[in-house]
Order: sequence, then structure tokens, then C-alpha cells
Amino acid sequence: MNKTYFQQLEETLYNETLPNGLDVYILPKRGFSKTFVTFTTKYGSIDREFIPLGKDEPVIVPDGIAHFLEHKMFEKEEGDVFQKFSEKGASANAFTSFTRTAYLFSSTDHVLDNTKTLLDFVQQPYFTEQTVEKEKGIIGQEITMYDDQPDWRLYFGTIENMYKEHPVKIDIAGTIDTISHITAEHLYECYNTFYHPSNMVLFVVGAVDPEEMMDFIKADQAAKTFEEPQEIKRFYPEEQKAVDKKERTLQMDVQKPKVLFGIKASNTDISGDEMLNYELAMQVAIEMIFGRSSAFYQEIYENGWIDESYSADFSMEQGYGFTMIGSDTVNPTELTEKIKETIKNYASNWNVEDEDLQRIVRKKIGFFLRALNSIEYIANQFTRYSFNDMNLFDVVPALEKLTMDQVKAAFQSLIDDNAHTVFTILPYEKSNE
Amino acid sequence: MFQQFELASGVKLFVRPTEQFKTINISFKWKQPLTVEKASIRAVLANILQFSNEVYPTNAAFRKRLDDLYGTALYFDTTKKGSHHIFSLNAETVNDAYLSNEKIVDEVFSLLHTVIFKPNLENGKFGESIVKREKEQVIERIQSMYDDKTRYAQQRLLENIRPNNPASITSNGTVETVKAITNEQLIEMHHDLLTKDDLSIYVVGDVNIQEIKEKMQSHFSFVDRTEKIEKPVDIPSETTDKKFLHEIQDMKQGKLHIAYQTPITFFSEEFPVMQLTNGILGGFSHSKIFMNVREKESMAYYASSSYSSLYGLIFVLAGIDSNLQKKAVALIDEQLKVMQAGDISDLELNQTKSMLTNQLKEALDSARAQIEIYDQYKELNASFTVEDWVGKWMNVTKEQIQQMALTIEKEFVYFLSGKEGAANE
Repeated sequence: MNKTYFQQLEETLYNETLPNGLDVYILPKRGFSKTFVTFTTKYGSIDREFIPLGKDEPVIVPDGIAHFLEHKMFEKEEGDVFQKFSEKGASANAFTSFTRTAYLFSSTDHVLDNTKTLLDFVQQPYFTEQTVEKEKGIIGQEITMYDDQPDWRLYFGTIENMYKEHPVKIDIAGTIDTISHITAEHLYECYNTFYHPSNMVLFVVGAVDPEEMMDFIKADQAAKTFEEPQEIKRFYPEEQKAVDKKERTLQMDVQKPKVLFGIKASNTDISGDEMLNYELAMQVAIEMIFGRSSAFYQEIYENGWIDESYSADFSMEQGYGFTMIGSDTVNPTELTEKIKETIKNYASNWNVEDEDLQRIVRKKIGFFLRALNSIEYIANQFTRYSFNDMNLFDVVPALEKLTMDQVKAAFQSLIDDNAHTVFTILPYEKSNE
Repeated sequence: MFQQFELASGVKLFVRPTEQFKTINISFKWKQPLTVEKASIRAVLANILQFSNEVYPTNAAFRKRLDDLYGTALYFDTTKKGSHHIFSLNAETVNDAYLSNEKIVDEVFSLLHTVIFKPNLENGKFGESIVKREKEQVIERIQSMYDDKTRYAQQRLLENIRPNNPASITSNGTVETVKAITNEQLIEMHHDLLTKDDLSIYVVGDVNIQEIKEKMQSHFSFVDRTEKIEKPVDIPSETTDKKFLHEIQDMKQGKLHIAYQTPITFFSEEFPVMQLTNGILGGFSHSKIFMNVREKESMAYYASSSYSSLYGLIFVLAGIDSNLQKKAVALIDEQLKVMQAGDISDLELNQTKSMLTNQLKEALDSARAQIEIYDQYKELNASFTVEDWVGKWMNVTKEQIQQMALTIEKEFVYFLSGKEGAANE
């Protein structure tokens, strides 16, 4: 078992890669009552085209299948896994993102028993045509619920504007139509391909004895048999640099218009330190120019063009990425014009002092240290970083080393007008009142 | 959980030293009786104090100062608890120990003093343009509830069952009461905070109790709360015979919200038994409502119950196909009925005890949750501990649960859906 001590953070991380390929990480946290365990596969909604385990030809599976599979893992021949967790006082859950599917629980007692339940239910699939059919009603209601959420529609509408081919533009849960085609056979095919231990990470954080936990996991995995690890072949379509649609509008039953200004990232085929530095530089650039202490923010706030829903963020994974800036606003056009003008101004005159950079870096370090109080944040983020060959605990040193040139270079990728798009949600015209 | 000190009459300091966190959390909670007018004034005042102050007269200057203090989080918040309005100021700052050669905790105390005691005034009043804009921000916050269908449906339910009552008054008040606010009322409310409101101050983190007590006394001079704020006269709710309301919006899913009343509240001896009763009915994913409405009938993605103990209300919420309203209500009614008939398994009871215990113990892993839980439970017992409370659940029997279920009475069904559902009424 490897042991790494992060002096500045006063944290010790234990890790080992097991013979079956599973990466196990354990982070004991002093003073905590609960233990939080996540078991994550590098498999999400964008993995729709791949060569199934043991076959030669690529297949395309129905949209929403990774999320559907996540739901179906909880049902077993003997009943619902939630029942088992409840008996041992564990709150269990799962989520599917564009690139990951995570299963998790937290408990203050019976931690080894609950870890066993987690490992067993994720590693023993049970799908029948009957249970698959039953789930379609439940997921149908989940999809309908999101359809009624204007902020979700705004977010996805903006991504759809940006991407022409890449499956990031497909809703994680799919649609009622696409999930209607899912069969038990599909689920087994996806499961067998993506749930091999060598494609997964187990992260344990909180009140835990690292030696005891590692021995327990090793014994459990050694007692199970798995196929030899194989490289998974996934296919993603070529994506153009420019956005697919410059502008779209949707009408919904809302009080006030909502707008998002999206900027498609140009440099996303990266990982490791390169990704860490680019991502941090981009986040710092966005915070500096569009954050709450920026001149831009002060002006739009005092003009009354934004409200408390305002946000400006950058996020990426290997293969796609975007900046999104927006708010609920009665002045969507003024706001998006101001964003464009601000980008132009900084492009022609980089009016930023070293002092500004230092201030934002301090803010980011403070945010990171606050986040480390949350064991959920640590487990989820650590896994995401690890799937991209980065280390979460490198964030503070990387921020401290960040230079103005890196930030300026990151900002350059926001300038191209072809990468800009706007999505707006408008209230219905009040014609019949 | 916390050590307490009286800093002045009506002003209490609660400190919990722990090495668990990398930050120090500080929370000021000002409390006074809840009325819709006062709620609005306090919501706008919170926004104004968040914007600027005498030392940092522009928002940019104030924000930059917070960034410099390692992104110290400092924010005002307004909430309600029972029949009280809570005006709070929360701060979270990095513990000096994790930074090389920095001393920021003292600077944060000094900044807290500034935001509380030194507002940005011109000739004894807040700037008119700031007041106007922050009133507008609070109005927009109130209106945005319309876009969140679950919150909107819940608020409509409350307005129907408890009009003009703390249960339905929100911590922001209404658009009308915000519009009516004057500059003088805001000044007067700020004065109330400094001299009249009950004040509880919480500090959680790797701190020295004596040092914190001294810092509080040296930075802040709190006056005795000699004048008490009058309680509003209780307006009896207009009783309504209506038991059902269906409203229409342009939407796809049907939002079913059912209200039940019970005489058992937070202050009742049977409160811990009612917590278990609600847990078995619909608090968890092993509960009767989840197992039957979602897992058995596939009717919903979410289906659960929650116990609003300060008001003696239980709510059941489910997102369903808009044509299935009657079927869903019948199925949910059935779950309460079987509990009233005593159909409660050992498994369900034990699962619920384990889950409630885990939920409460888990809360100890967040400094903010420690503050919120203690702030509520100290009303019952100042020496509240999680272990003692868990003990109250352990020996509860099925018969006690059945007795609790028999006190629960269905009061109102509210349904919000698209036009499709309306056609099938």
C-alpha cells in the first residue's frame, strides 16, 4: 500500500492498485463521524459508441443507457438494495454524469458491512426484461421532471447550441423515446464492457482505519473472479471548432427571461498536468474578468441587468468543454452584448495587474481549503481528477505557481466569435390576459 | 455540544472547539417574532448590508477585501423558524494554521464588526439608489419561486391551509410588503438588531474558548436587550371547507402535494416517536410511500413525506403523470391507513431507527449543520447531545408508532399540472 503525506494540507492518502486492476484510495479524516465510500466507473452518457467486450465491431447503444443502468443496478433478485443499506443505517445513492457513473453510501456505523454491500451490488448485475420495463415509468417521470426545470433546459439548450456531433449534447437521461428501446441485453453489454474493475475507482474517506479497510477490500476482490483487463475502445465523432447554432430561444411558463452566453472550448484533447494548469488558468481568468469583484460585475449589477442567479463558470472533460455566463434578466440582449464587449476589450487591452491575479489565487486557495471540509467533495472530485490523470491535492501548489502568461493564454481561447453562442428562455407572450 | 456564555442580557455566545475542520465558522443569529411586513424589511436590510458598508463603501471594494482574506465567505441570510424570523450573518474563514505567516482570523473579526455596526449611511439614511435596487432584487427572488414548480406548489398549499400564519409567511415576505418598505423602516430595523433582537453567536473550529470570548468582548460591544419586541396578535386562520385544489400551468409533470395535521409538535413529549412515524411513512427509500408509489407502481421518480414539526404538519410530495392524481392519492392514503391499523414490520422500524441515527450523527461532520441542529434542539434542552437524542428512538415500539399514526389527519390535497391533467377531472 502506498502512503503519501501532503504536508500543507495535513492529509495522508493511502492507495493501491489491486491485481484485477481496481484503483483503491483511502483518506482517513480526523474528528469525522461518518465514512463516505464511492465506487465509480469511467462510463457516462457520452460513451454511446464502443466495441463491446469480446467483440470486434463497434455498436451504438440507445441514448440514456448509462443512467438507466445506474437505476437498474439497485434491483436484485432478492429485492431492492436500498433495503439492505437501510438496515445498516447507510444512506446510499448514485449519479450519472457525462463521463462517470458513481455509486456511494455514507454511514456512521457498520462501515465494513456497508462496503461489502456496495461492492457486491455493483459487481453482481441482475437484469430481466420485466424489471427493465418497470423502470421505464420511473425514469420517464425523472425526464419529465427535468423538462419542467427552466434552468436545466437553459443549460442543455446552450450545450446543444455549441455541439454539432459530440454526444455531450445528448441529455444524460435520454428521452422517453430513446429509453423505450433499451433491453436487458443492452444493459449486460454495457455493464460487461465498462464495469470491469480496471475501469473503476474505489474511494474511501472519513472515519476509517486504512489498513483494516484495505485488507477487507483486497480479500473481497480476491474472492471474486473477473475477466482479464482489456483496453476499452470508445469512439467520439469529430467536432468542429465553431458552435453549431449561434442563437436559439425557447418559450416556457416562467416569470422572467433567462439567458446563457456559452463559449465552446478549443483545446480539450488534454489530460494530466496540462489539463490541471489549463483548467485552473481558465477558472482564474473567468473569475478575474466576470467574477463578483470584477468591474464588469459591478456595472451589470448596478444597471439591474442581473440578479442572484448570476453565474460565470468554466468546466471541461477530455473532448469537450465550455464557459457559461448568464443570469435571469429582463435585459438579456444588453447583458450578452456587454459580455461580448468585455471580451473584446480585454483582447485588445489586457488591463490586469499582478495584484488582481494574486487576489483571485488567494480566493481560490481559500475556496479549496473550505471544500476539503466536505468528504463528499473530496471523494467525488478526487475520482474525477484521477480519471483525467490529475491529482486533486496538486491544486494548491499549481495555483501558487500559476503565472499571468498562463492566465492570458487561457483567456485567448475565449476571443473567437465563432465559438460564442446564446440561448434564451422567454416567458409566454401575455396576449390573452 | 457547545459551551455557552452570556455577553449581555439576551446576547449569548456558543463555542465548540474542534480540530475536525480546516476553517472557522462564525454565525450571528438575530431573532424576533415573524410578521410578513418585518420579514420583508429584514430581507431587504440583509441585501443592503451585504452590498457595502462605511469602510468599504463600494461593493467592489468589499468583495476585494473578502478575496484578499483567502476568499472568506461572509453572507447574510434570512430564514424562519416556527413563529420567529431569523436574520443571520455567517462567515467561514481559513484557519491561520493552514497558511504560512498569515493572521487573518483577527481581520475577519474586525470585518464582521464593520458589517454589523458600520453601515454605509448618507445623512443617517441608506443610499436611495441602493435601497431601490435591493428592494427590486428581493422582489425578483420572491417571483422566481414561480419558476421552481415544487417550491411554488408547496407555497400554494401552505397559503391555502394556513393563510396569514407563520406557516405560510415566507422569510422574504411578499412583493407588496417589499414595495411598501421605507428607508426609515430599514434604519429602525438595523437599530432593532443592535439593541432589541435576541442574539445567538456561534463559533465552531480549532479555537481557544477563552481567546474567542475575549475577541468577542473586545471587538463587539453588545448592549443588554432590555426592551422586548411585542409579539404579533395571533390572527386565527380562516377555516376553509375546501379540501382540494387543482391549478394549471404550462408544464409536463403533475406535482402532488398533500398536507396532514397532527397535534404532535417539536415541543411535545412524543416528538421523537413522530420522527420515526414520518420516517416509516415516507422519510426514506425503504419507506412505505417510496416502496409502493415508486418501486411497486412505477408512478413516480420522487415520492416522500416530511415532518414540519414546528407547525404540526406533515407533507407528502410526489411527481406523477398528470392523469394519475386520483390513483396516487388513494395509494398514499392507503399507506397511512395501514400504519394506523398497526401494520408496521420490525424491519421497517429498525431500518428507520438506523437511518435517523445515521442522519443525525452525519450532521456532526459539517460545522454549519452542528450550528443549525444545536440552535434548534437547545430550545428543548441546553445540554443537548446527539447520543442522548438517539437514545430516545431506541426503545420506541410499533404500538407507539401506531398511536402516533392515529393522530395524523389528512387536511388538503393540492395538485399542480399541465392542461392535459385538467381534461380528465
